[in-house]
Amino acid sequence: MTARSESPGRLARFFAERQDTRLAALLFIVLLAANIWLNPARFMPHNWGSVLGLAAPLLLASLAITIPFLAGRGSIDVSVGPLLGLINVIIVKGLIMTADVTSPLVIVPAALLIGLASGVLNGFLAAILRIQPIVATLATYLIYAGLALAILPSPSGSAPAWLTALAGPWSILPIGLAALVWLFVKRLPYYDLLMATGSDDRAAFTAGVNVPGVRFAAYLLAGFFAGLAALSLTALIGSGDPNIGPGYTLIAIAAVALGGVSLAGGVGGMTAAFLGAADIFLLQSMLTAFNVSTFVLQMAYGAVLVLAVCLNSEKLKRHFKARAAPR
Amino acid sequence: MSSDAVILQYENLTLAAGRTPVSGMLRAGEIKGLAGLEGHGQEQFLLALAGFDQPQGGTVRIRTAGEDFADYSSHHAAARHGVVYLPRDRRSTGIFPVLSVLDNFGIPSMPRFSLAGILNRGRQKEALAAYTDFLSIRYPSMTAPISALSGGNQQKVLLARLLALEPRVMLLNDPTRGVDLNTRLKFYEAFRQLARDKGIALVILSSEIEEILQICDTVSIFRDFERTEVIEKEAMTMSRVIAAMFGQNEVAL
Amino acid sequence: MNMILKHLTGNRALVAYAGVLLVFAVGAMLIPGFASLFSIRAMLILASLLAIAALGQTLVMILGGIDLSIPFVIGFANVVFASLYGGGMPAWVALAIVLAGAAMIGAFSGAISAALSIHPLIVTLGVGTVVQALVQIWTRGLPTGSAPPFINEFVSLGGSVGPLPFPWLIPFTLALTIATIFVLRRTIYGRKLYALGSNPKAAELALIRPVVMWAMTFSLSSIFAALAGIFLLGFTGSSSAGVGTPYLFQTVAAVVIGGTALIGGRGGFIGTIAGAIVLVELRTVLIGIGLSEAMVQSALGVLILLLVAAYGRDQHIRNLI
Repeated sequence: MTARSESPGRLARFFAERQDTRLAALLFIVLLAANIWLNPARFMPHNWGSVLGLAAPLLLASLAITIPFLAGRGSIDVSVGPLLGLINVIIVKGLIMTADVTSPLVIVPAALLIGLASGVLNGFLAAILRIQPIVATLATYLIYAGLALAILPSPSGSAPAWLTALAGPWSILPIGLAALVWLFVKRLPYYDLLMATGSDDRAAFTAGVNVPGVRFAAYLLAGFFAGLAALSLTALIGSGDPNIGPGYTLIAIAAVALGGVSLAGGVGGMTAAFLGAADIFLLQSMLTAFNVSTFVLQMAYGAVLVLAVCLNSEKLKRHFKARAAPR
Repeated sequence: MSSDAVILQYENLTLAAGRTPVSGMLRAGEIKGLAGLEGHGQEQFLLALAGFDQPQGGTVRIRTAGEDFADYSSHHAAARHGVVYLPRDRRSTGIFPVLSVLDNFGIPSMPRFSLAGILNRGRQKEALAAYTDFLSIRYPSMTAPISALSGGNQQKVLLARLLALEPRVMLLNDPTRGVDLNTRLKFYEAFRQLARDKGIALVILSSEIEEILQICDTVSIFRDFERTEVIEKEAMTMSRVIAAMFGQNEVAL
Repeated sequence: MNMILKHLTGNRALVAYAGVLLVFAVGAMLIPGFASLFSIRAMLILASLLAIAALGQTLVMILGGIDLSIPFVIGFANVVFASLYGGGMPAWVALAIVLAGAAMIGAFSGAISAALSIHPLIVTLGVGTVVQALVQIWTRGLPTGSAPPFINEFVSLGGSVGPLPFPWLIPFTLALTIATIFVLRRTIYGRKLYALGSNPKAAELALIRPVVMWAMTFSLSSIFAALAGIFLLGFTGSSSAGVGTPYLFQTVAAVVIGGTALIGGRGGFIGTIAGAIVLVELRTVLIGIGLSEAMVQSALGVLILLLVAAYGRDQHIRNLI
């Protein structure tokens, strides 16, 4: 579909051009309106920091999940969730409780470096060694989840004040940093190579693109964003918890699928990831306002996910288009 | 069935919006060629006959028994009525690369060689052996992977795949593309025999005019998603066909 | 090139069986009692349960898909069967209801994945989540009921088949394996499965209906997952919606270690059996050398990586052109 060039306004253009994220964007507006209507006080400007802080781990985890998807041919990093948990317990148990280090100058780089190290490992296994990405990252999923439990068998510890502020007034910092890094990446030639690899890796390879290298870097970026997500998560829960991380994998995959990121590669980006994650978060927040059980919440995730990917399906769209315009 | 009986009728096949629809018929034992510049609607026409993407309003009918005709609008229904299609791109839409010669031959015709869903490999192998003789296919063994065969032999296996469906109409999309000369001659001989002895109607889309001149009884020329001309065997010459493809009356070669 | 590939695929299952023997030898050396009748029997039972759960995953992966709903369907069958039977329903009726329900869940996932070309990973994940949530809502998070005695007996560690010292589950799994191999090799369904996995476009032109095949295959996957869930009920004694959780990774790992590639068209169930046995053996060894549950999980992750890196790697992109 071509964008109508005469349509004014960025929003209109967004809706005309971004077919994949259109559904998520619409849902976002509806859910936001519903949330504000249900609970106006919570969405007042002075609460924006803490609302964003609540959403931040999922937003960032979704961004981390998105990047390997962009690289195509089954690229996926399911270890993102347990990685959040592992970084969380390493910070709380390893640095704060054991070594008594609370300085942001140590904790922030440590979190990002562990994330990057995981990216190197996953990238090496999936892109260089060519183990099926889902198998490779399911294995690292197990490794991280096991390590987290071994380091800290049950929730304990606490986070320093500067860190918990990242879930409150300063919650924009990790999100903002992620956004800046992503916008920077988008300006690099690497971004084009990534999207080309995701759309058609054979053509990209024939054209001289170092496909394994591009995929490796995608896992590296995912690790970096997972590191940021882990900081947000630690800020939010204010303690170490080995059990909370793994759950993020499934919700984040749901979020990016909802946002319109294609698992086949080459379609999606930060907007899609953030919108999808925001939809899930707002849905959760709305249903919590109704005091429903976690089971109903879980069912809503699943149902919204299936419904959204169905509606986003290219095949369905083509079918309806063919119906609407008989030749 | 007499060899000039009409076995397929097609009406109002619109190949692109706003173009004049195509109607006509196929007789048993007829070899019809389709020609045109690349992307001028001949492929859409062939696909429509095969039951894919049929244009709105058009119909394709096949003689069932006696004077009865039946409509169809999917390639499954077409195949049930004996209308089979050979795809153009052997590698991407023809073969199953990791499967054996026998499987590559037998996938669509399995119901003929099975009882209650269980395959009778013996009968399947006999059938393949018969077509192997007919088309002189060469392969190391029936269980060898199809990718171990030369392009020409792979194409022969695909042709055998269609023949095992006992077709009445064969729709062939550039059947000799990327095939060596000997195989090509073998194909021409086979096409003539199938038309003459079995009364099979063949529609052959070809990008090589010489091939059409050699084997076809008529050739339909497509230009701008319309059938602009039908040339009979007697009037078929290289220059006539090329001229028609370019929408001119005659060119000097 | 492809001759070699075919050869390797054949060999991958063999490599997996070599792994079974090797891990067994290592276990017998390291852990006293590892080679005892009791321990072998326990491992065989656990491997059988895993193999049954992984049967469907094998079929789905030959098709080129993946089924993440297996753990949720295991939980569904486990809890619903226990509740129905506990509520006084005859066991066979409850069994029929649960298997039929599972079949519908799978058919739905498979059909919409194929019909709308959505990645099955997303669909099975979403459908599985909904199924698990519905089960939890139905039982209010507190599953009740238990297995009928004949199912307990069927999978029991102390069970016996005549004079043979193992429960009926073992010969059942053996028969299931033979049946699966027969279906894959000698039936229309089996050959269509490989064809569709090998080249979906060519398959459609060769008169295979992808939506029907996907619906059937995912349906089978759910049915076998449900069967595993019911057997697990007999094995553990009480129902739990989370009983299937470890099976998500283990079914995928068993299939991949067994030599079935995720790209479709290759592999088979013989390898999966070896994969299941290797996984159970490894777990037993790791627990036997005294690792905590958490470290067992991590070590298993490492070992699986080593195994798959040794012989389960993908082709380089340059070989795909």
